Amino acid sequence: MATIGHNNLNAKLVLLGDMGAGKSSLVLRFVKGQFLEFQESTIGAAFFSQTLAVNDATVKFEIWDTAGQERYHSLAPMYYRGAAAAIIVYDITSADSFTRAKKWVQELQKQGNPNMVMALAGNKADLEEKRKVTAEEARAYADENGLFFMETSAKTAANVNDVFHEIAKRLPRAQPTQNPAGMVLVDRPAEGARAASCCS
Amino acid sequence: MHETDIHDLSDDADYAAASKQGSSSMTRTDSSKQRSSNDPKDAEIVYLKDNVTIHPTQYAAERISGRLKLVKQGSSLFMTWIPYKGQSSNTRLSARDKNLYTIRALPFSDIQSIRRHTPTIGWQYVIVVSSGLAFPPLYFYSGGVREFLATIKQHVLIVRSSEDANLFLVNNFQDPLQRTLSSLELPGSLANRTPSSLGSPSDGNLENNHILEDGQLRSVQQNNKQRQKSHDPARDISIQVLEKFSLVTRFARETTSQLFRESLVDGHGPTEKRRTNWASKDHQSQEMVSNDVEIVPKRVHVPSDPLEFDKLSLVWGQPRQHPLGLQEWSSFLDSEGRIVDPDALKKRIFYGGVEHNLRKEVWTFLLGYYSYDSTYAEREYVVSVKRSEYETIKTQWQSISPEQAKRFTKFRERKGLIDKDVVRTDRSLSFYEGDDNANVRHMHDILLTYSFYNFDLGYCQGMSDLLSPILFILKDESEAFWCFVSLLERLGPNFNRDQSGMHSQLFALSKLVELLDSPLHNYFKQNDCLNYFFCFRWILIQFKREFENEKTLRLWEVLWTHYPSEHLHLYICIAILKRHRSKIMGEQMDFDTLLKFINELSGQIDLDPVLREAEALCVYAGENGAASIPPGTPPSLPIQDSSMYHQQDDEVL
Ligand SMILES: Nc1nc2c(ncn2[C@@H]2O[C@H](COP(=O)(O)OP(=O)(O)OP(=O)(O)O)[C@@H](O)[C@H]2O)c(=O)[nH]1
Ligand SMILES: [Mg+2]
Repeated sequence: MATIGHNNLNAKLVLLGDMGAGKSSLVLRFVKGQFLEFQESTIGAAFFSQTLAVNDATVKFEIWDTAGQERYHSLAPMYYRGAAAAIIVYDITSADSFTRAKKWVQELQKQGNPNMVMALAGNKADLEEKRKVTAEEARAYADENGLFFMETSAKTAANVNDVFHEIAKRLPRAQPTQNPAGMVLVDRPAEGARAASCCS
Repeated sequence: MHETDIHDLSDDADYAAASKQGSSSMTRTDSSKQRSSNDPKDAEIVYLKDNVTIHPTQYAAERISGRLKLVKQGSSLFMTWIPYKGQSSNTRLSARDKNLYTIRALPFSDIQSIRRHTPTIGWQYVIVVSSGLAFPPLYFYSGGVREFLATIKQHVLIVRSSEDANLFLVNNFQDPLQRTLSSLELPGSLANRTPSSLGSPSDGNLENNHILEDGQLRSVQQNNKQRQKSHDPARDISIQVLEKFSLVTRFARETTSQLFRESLVDGHGPTEKRRTNWASKDHQSQEMVSNDVEIVPKRVHVPSDPLEFDKLSLVWGQPRQHPLGLQEWSSFLDSEGRIVDPDALKKRIFYGGVEHNLRKEVWTFLLGYYSYDSTYAEREYVVSVKRSEYETIKTQWQSISPEQAKRFTKFRERKGLIDKDVVRTDRSLSFYEGDDNANVRHMHDILLTYSFYNFDLGYCQGMSDLLSPILFILKDESEAFWCFVSLLERLGPNFNRDQSGMHSQLFALSKLVELLDSPLHNYFKQNDCLNYFFCFRWILIQFKREFENEKTLRLWEVLWTHYPSEHLHLYICIAILKRHRSKIMGEQMDFDTLLKFINELSGQIDLDPVLREAEALCVYAGENGAASIPPGTPPSLPIQDSSMYHQQDDEVL
């Protein structure tokens, strides 16, 4: 949940997407300005934070980077629960990863916070010669589903900060401080309060 | 499916004895005409699962394990759950207790619904509701809920509730009464709520909840029957379920305590009550823990470690020794190459590890590729047999033509996952460095071959981390493959799709922390950290990402000795947590912060002292520690081989 204190906003953001799509690389680029050719796979999840200045306010992103393999899917709700924003990442050189991204969007639409700001990121835009998913197709899908869309490259840094900035701008400035009803997931009732990291 | 075996007969003797004692309220006597007291001759067992357990209390020692069966007789299907005989050392568990929980030939015509729980943390379990009565949750220690439901589906009409994917309605689901069930709070979801929502006004009074006299239960049941006739069926069922639970709150409360993302439980063991003021404060305030208003003391007081950790490790943990060298190694072998005293060897390796250039040889024993009593000649033979066996399995995927691959999605998917992972596993080690590295190719081939060798498990992220050090040491594709196979015999359940292997380890970890550091446990409880998910990476890949390569090799050979416990890795988790307990509690870390903190410990952990402390904790915990770890928890070998990997597909139902 995004929460406000003076001009400062805390926002939980989760990255979802197929394994190897570049979730960790995007975070690493955004948080540390680095890129690793052999970025190791994510086991479980990783947590980062980074603060951005937008207009006269600051947004502190609390970023959850998740493991991409389908096998670990059942753990994802633990991370997207209560998130104010999500970046769904696919790899423009892999049609499968785009299919997977759509599944994530569906799942978030069904289970996630209804006010969640969602971004679709077509990563590895530097690999134009291997492209399998056109920007038009992805943009059309994003428009239909109320997401905003950008092609990014963690490698060249193209559009990486922009995605986070755009999310920061779109975050609703007033949020209910409690989880809206209906958001509590079956089997995980007690966690809502913790994840929201609100009320501070 | 399974043959009736000798054990079964003993079950049946139990069963007959129990029947003589008269039926408890849990027994559906109205079905007696359909069965004899023994499994009738014409009955067919269509499903059988061992180690299905109920948790009558929060004490591990009081759990009752038994055998779950589905029995088909004529066109009727029955469910039975019979506790094992004499399995418990606990005298508090009287025969009557067991009898009370026994489920004898419950006909499916009586069953209304089955709720499946495959929680992120904890074992998977089902709650069966029959005539408005919820049986205590049946925990499947060895997995198998999916198979259970799939088998039922083959024999009786069962549908998934449209409103809740985990609720299965049995039989008369067209009946409006039944249909409303799906929109109700069934016990499953109740058990996940806070105890206050369980709705008994006398909830606070624990004494009430301990009384489980036959008579009482029977009267509840009658009560339920009457209520079923009243007007509003929807409301009614929820009421009886609520009441059932308030009277059997012993189940509910303690079930709740097993679901440890739940923060509000009365989990005070006798040892805890003796401990610090923190614990007793918690005892008083427990009713309000789940309220967001839980008061955090202004000045953070970090309760001291009840074990005086430093002293403990001095007393119990032995100093680390130098690694095993060639000369000493030779002294363990007889003239034909047999290892005379494997236990002494393991103990030696536990305390010092192995010199690097000896690892290739010693690891093959530790991992079980060679048996300790094999001779040089036998081992040579094993190598050649296994090499050709490896090649045979490898050919299975190598012979897949591009045309065939086009029509073989599973293969392409798996290969894709492996392709992506091998190029980003340990590439900074010179062994795997550079473009077109032959060892990276070996790793790829081994993993793909493994995914054919164990097609049910397949490939899963994390496996390349487990393979990399093994290949690095063995330097031979076939030998590395077979050692990897042996390792995954034990660690394979870490990768189960339903996460059951990980759940049981995280669960055991929480129980051990409760035992060994109750203030820390209480801290995690109050901060919703009891799922121990921050230790996920540690356990999944055996701390591979936490240490530099050389230290990982040392740690692994130490762990593989299984001395002094095969679950030493859990004590290592605790040793590391304890080293940072005052920071964790002092800085009031919440789950997010804690996970970040733990991830960032990578590369910062000092292995030798941690090993020593882990040993101390393990020795100190002794039998109580062992009792906190449910049977079959990886890396223990599973009790039943067939249960090791359940089907990995999601769409059975
Ligand atoms: N060329 C190129 N490669 C990239 C880019 N982003 C990531 N990669 C590479 O793609 C591989 C996977 O990147 P990760 O960031 O680890 O992917 P992930 O989505 O975090 O993967 P999981 O943790 O397994 O779910 C790594 O080898 C990266 O170096 C990019 O923008 N361009
Ligand atoms: Mg990643």
